[in-house]
This record gives sequence, C-alpha cells and structure tokens, in this order.
Amino acid sequence: MLLLPLAITWFAALALAPLDGRRRAVGAAAVAALAAAYLALVWLAVRVLTDGPVEMIAGGWGPGIGIRLRADALGITFALLSLAVLVAALAFEVLGGVHERSLPELVLFMATGLTGLFLTADIFNFYVFFEVAMISSFILASYGKEVRHLRAALTFTVVNLLGSVVFLSGVTGLYHVTGTLDMDGVAQRIDEAPDGSVLLIAVLIFVAFGLKLGLFPFHSWVAPVYRDAWPAVAAMLSAALANIGSYGLLRFGAGLMPQELGLTATGVILLGSLSILYGGLQAVSARSASEVIAWSSIGQVGYILVALGIGGPIGLSAAILFTMVNALNKLVLFLAIGLRGWLVGATFALAAFSVAGVPPSAGFFGKVAVFRAGEASGHAALLALIVVGGALSLLYMFQVYQREYWARPTKAPPSPLAPRLLVFALAIGIVAIGVWPEPLLALSGRAAAVLSGGG
Amino acid sequence: MILALALAIAVLFGSGAFLLLKRDLIRMVGGVILMSNAVNLFIVAAGLGRGREPIYPLPPGRQVSDPVVQALVLTAIVIGFGTVAVVLGLLYRSYTARRARDAALASPPEEATPLMEPPVDGAVE
Repeated sequence: MLLLPLAITWFAALALAPLDGRRRAVGAAAVAALAAAYLALVWLAVRVLTDGPVEMIAGGWGPGIGIRLRADALGITFALLSLAVLVAALAFEVLGGVHERSLPELVLFMATGLTGLFLTADIFNFYVFFEVAMISSFILASYGKEVRHLRAALTFTVVNLLGSVVFLSGVTGLYHVTGTLDMDGVAQRIDEAPDGSVLLIAVLIFVAFGLKLGLFPFHSWVAPVYRDAWPAVAAMLSAALANIGSYGLLRFGAGLMPQELGLTATGVILLGSLSILYGGLQAVSARSASEVIAWSSIGQVGYILVALGIGGPIGLSAAILFTMVNALNKLVLFLAIGLRGWLVGATFALAAFSVAGVPPSAGFFGKVAVFRAGEASGHAALLALIVVGGALSLLYMFQVYQREYWARPTKAPPSPLAPRLLVFALAIGIVAIGVWPEPLLALSGRAAAVLSGGG
Repeated sequence: MILALALAIAVLFGSGAFLLLKRDLIRMVGGVILMSNAVNLFIVAAGLGRGREPIYPLPPGRQVSDPVVQALVLTAIVIGFGTVAVVLGLLYRSYTARRARDAALASPPEEATPLMEPPVDGAVE
C-alpha cells in the first residue's frame, strides 16, 4: 500500500518512456498517472493521520535487516506538496504544448524519486531516491529551445552534483559512527558517537541541503538557473525539488541530530537572517521578472532556516508551514511570468501579495507562523528582521508588477487560454488557503509533532 | 592503510574539485568523475575493519569486515556512472549547440539563440 504511489509513477514513467511526449495523448496520460498517484497518496495520508505511521520493510526481511519504508505525517505532508506542484506544472506544460519528447516521463521519474525519499526511513535509500529525482531534474533543466536553457542545466547539474557528493559523504559518515542506516537506529545511537565527528557530519549534511535549498552562502547557482530555465521547469525545480532541502534539514537536523542543531542554532538563525536580507536586497535591484523571483526565493528560504533554528514545536511547524506556502507561491509566480494576456496580471498580483504576506493569502499565515516563532525565541531583532524582509518582498514584487504589467506595452500575442485559467485557479487556491487555513495549520502541526515526538 | 586511504581520497577529491572549477567542460566532467570516485573510496573506508573477507561460510571465532559498505559502494558506483552519462549527454548537446567546449557560464545571457535541431525520431503531430 505504501508502494502504490511509487509504483504508479514509476511504471507509468517506464511505459511512457518509448513514446513521444510531444503528443497530447502522452502528456495527458502522464498527467492522469500523476493524478492517480496523488489520489493514492491522499488515501495513504488519511490513513497516516488517523491511525499513525504506516510502515513496511522491503522484500519481506526481518526488522533491522531490510530497508524500511515509512509514511509519517512529516513525510506525507512533503510528498503531498511536491506531487501537487508536479501535477500542476505538468498539466500547465501539456496544456501549453510540450516541445520535447522526454518531458512527461522525466516528470514522472522525478515524482517517483521525490515520493520515495519522503517515504523512506533508511538514510542510504534516501540518497538513492534523491539521485533518482536529481538525475531527472538535470535533464529537465535543459528543457527548452535556446542555448540559455542548456546553460541553466549545466550550472544546475554541476552545482548539484557537488551537493550529492557532499551528502553521500555525510550519509557514509553517519553509517560509520552509528553502524546502521535506519533513521530510528541512527537517532538512537548518535548520542554514543564521538561529538566531534557527529558535528562534522552535521555540517556536511547541512551544506548539502543548503545547496539544494539555495541558502545564502550556497546560493550562487539559484539566480542564473531560475533566470534561464523554462518557466514550468523553474516552477518544478523551485517548488517541488527544493523541498528536498527543507525536508532534509528537518529530518536530518531536527529528527536525527537534534543536539547538533541545538548547538549550532545561533549560526543557523544568522545564516537564515543573512539569506532574508541578501535575497531581498538583490531582488530589489534585479531587472528581469524571473531573476527577481529567483532572488526572492533565496530570501524566502531564509525564513525556513530562521524557524528551524528557533526550533521547538512552534519553530518546526512554522518551518513546515512556510515551506508549503513558499512552494505554492513560487509555483504560481514562475508559471505566470511565462504567460501574456488577460488574467495573467491578476494571477501574478495574487501570488505577489502572498509572497509579501498580505492577508487574506496563504503567505500571510506563513509569515504569522514565523513571526510567532520569533516571538517565542524572545529576540526583538528577529522580529524586526521578519518585518523588514516582508517590506522588501512587497517592494520587489510591486516593482515587477509595475515593469511587467503596467509599463510594458503588450506586443506579444496572448498565451493560450487553458494554461492561463489553470494558473489563475492556482492563485485563487492560494487565496482560498488564506481564507481557510486550518487544514494546513493542522497538517504542519502534526508534521512537526513527528520531529519533536522523537519519531 | 587508513592513512594511505585518507591520502588517496584527499588527492582524488582535491584534483576533482580543481578540475570542476575549470571553464573547459571536458575537464569539468573529469572533475565530477574523480570526486564521485573519491566518495566511493570513502564509503569503502567507512567499513574498513581488521577482519577476513565476509564470504560464507564464515570462519568461526574470527572477525569479518563489514559487508554492507560493499553493497553501498556498488549502488554508489552505479549511480555515479549514470550521472556521468547524463552529464556527458548534456555536454554533447552543448557541444553541438555552440560548436565550442567552454561553458562561458559567466557571460551574460544572449537572446534566443536557437539550438541546432536534434534529429527527430518518431512521428510528430
């Protein structure tokens, strides 16, 4: 049952691989398969949230020997979020017209990798699914007709390969000091391991996920890649794939090495603050819309890091909530900037207000959650920082709106209506979440309870 | 033995990182290969025990080294190989597109240079 969402996307990817993805029917089949996997995931989520974590051991091995798969509230939350993003982005691209044959199956492979890594309880298996998602994203990043898309893919690939190498060293280190690959086993035995080596491993893993997420000192790849990538691909990379970074920091940091996270909390908050300021200021000075959004994403992940550094149930649930909200904002923004015509400006404005945290939008509740976490930490400077970051985001989003939708005469012909309607519906969804945020708040609270409950 | 392995890993990783920073794409791929192999060696080193090879039947009373790392390194080698193949594919596309091997990653983005059309296989609607 745990394998159902994985099996659907994987077999569908294999079945579609020999077919030409530019055909409408193939694209529609891929969207249908993703939607089916999503339904399976929703069903699994209902079971997890009512009866507790669902577990299975691959291959019918005994406990402690085989590779364990586990769906708990944290993993299932991230899986639901990432798969929703992929369904929307793929449907958008199929409606607008796919122009490379490999796109649908690559998205399905990426969905397999993402679902797998959110639902595994084995650190090496995590690495394997991580690579499944990464390799498909390397090829996806080159999607497009121009040289700049290829350049985006090369930059993205090289930087993220470095991240994979660093992460694999961290996983190996964890195995060496604890003698197990099972997440629960690692969490239990990590206290007996020598402190110095665990801290070194924690730094390695932090660097790897920081690279993935595009945090301040590791951000250099983010702006050129998101600027040059195809809009739908940029949406998938920033709203689905980057979730690996925040999930990894939560799972490995707060879940497996809470002591090390507590020890370095000040540094983590500092890096997050620098990310917010640096990303925000760069976004204000950036010219093109996609570049502004790319820099903004560096600023926005800073909030996640600040919330993670504050820790505790409030901080962790704020980090999870903000990740969800941020992913939805990025999805709508990146899809909207590729379009022209009626409704697009309104769509962009709705998502931009959500980024700035204006009520009633999903972003408002994300900001409020981080603000509450800052309040709990008792640092006035942190609260000021969150306000300044919000002001900056309002400023740069308004600049983009002004340049793209007010000042620029629309010479380009309007895009097809179907993708525009889809993105507008997604933007309405963001507002709907803002109007009725209880389910999302409850979900992030449950997910954070997994970490602070020691499971 | 541990010192020798540590030195080998350090040299491999260092040369890999040095090559990765080059503008030349072929050298960059070389760097990727070296670095992924440095990590493979690191995995083997993580299970380095002073025991016999872990082959059944196990000799009673004697230590055997850790067999799990060998399974891990095998997986890591396969993944590394696949990644290198993908990077080479990207490199080839870049080569055909620009007829030049340097990435020019730092140069400003030019507007809408069409890629050379890849050979179309299969019918297109």
